Amino acid sequence: MRKANWKLLCSVFLMLASSLLRAQEFKLPVDVEKLTSRAKETVEVNMDGPMLQWASKFLSAEDPEEQKAAKVVANLKAIYVRSFEFDKEGAYSPAEVEALRAQFRSPLWSRVVGVRSEHNGENVDVFFKLENEKMAGIVIISAEPKELTFVNIVGPLEVDQLADLGGEFGIPKLNTKPSGKPLAKVEKGDHK
Amino acid sequence: MKSLRVLIIVLTLSAAAFAGEPEFQGIVHSIEATYGVRHVPLPLVGVALFFARPAGAHGLRLAIFEGFKVPTDSDDFRHVIESSLGPGWYPFVRVRSKGDTNGETTLIYANPNGGNMRMMIVNVESSEAQVIEMNLRDRDIKKWLKEPGEEADNQSGLHHQSD
Repeated sequence: MRKANWKLLCSVFLMLASSLLRAQEFKLPVDVEKLTSRAKETVEVNMDGPMLQWASKFLSAEDPEEQKAAKVVANLKAIYVRSFEFDKEGAYSPAEVEALRAQFRSPLWSRVVGVRSEHNGENVDVFFKLENEKMAGIVIISAEPKELTFVNIVGPLEVDQLADLGGEFGIPKLNTKPSGKPLAKVEKGDHK
Repeated sequence: MKSLRVLIIVLTLSAAAFAGEPEFQGIVHSIEATYGVRHVPLPLVGVALFFARPAGAHGLRLAIFEGFKVPTDSDDFRHVIESSLGPGWYPFVRVRSKGDTNGETTLIYANPNGGNMRMMIVNVESSEAQVIEMNLRDRDIKKWLKEPGEEADNQSGLHHQSD
């Protein structure tokens, strides 16, 4: 009997540990998950909870760049990156990306940047989530002919801090400063 | 006498390559119990890993399974792995590559602790799986934090170095 109880206790513990791990995972919109089957390579990066806090402490070394990133990360709740690489162009349709963008056209979200490059076919959209008039999250959707990247940063963050996070945790480097030369068509966001 | 000392070191390193922390053994045993496979005995893998380990990594453990028939993108397989990991482990990176046959999936879990990070890497290919545990320090943790996807790609091929 005691052995049976012990087994039951172990099973409950394992189920709890398993469900806790699963609960930390980020659920992407279903349409984006479908792309996994078509992608040559899919990379998912999850940084949340204590791991993110640990990373912020770890980054705060002597490097001034890392110090900046650490300051930003310390206030964040989570960073999720999904990157899909395809064999050939046209593996995903513009309508699929548009459907993904549409999910962030809600009163909670504001599209602040939209870059459309006819030169290299790279399109970037940045959406901000506002809560009580404060920034509570950022979603970046970067669509290239053979690559689609989706970044979700949860927590307070300012747009200029986004550049400090670029190049860390798999987040693409973003140039938030004007380059002088207009390489791409930048659409004005519908920031409210 | 000298050769006896060398033999003892080799045997110790070989044993250490599989010994590992409870989570590592837990994963190996769960895979064996769930899929009816046995990990391949690797008598000199400890020595190989001692010399072929990536810079900054220590405490490497490796288990290889052959004749493994599980879809590489199987969610069930992922749940088997995750139920063997205790609290303090976080899903960090998942890389899925579509190959000519069945593709390849690499699951990476991290257990951060002070200035160290324990990492569990599980790689599944069409007929083979590997479980690798390692501890990372300073410089290499920074590399992982900067480019997790790229590092995952690099490290999933770690077992090939020790072949």
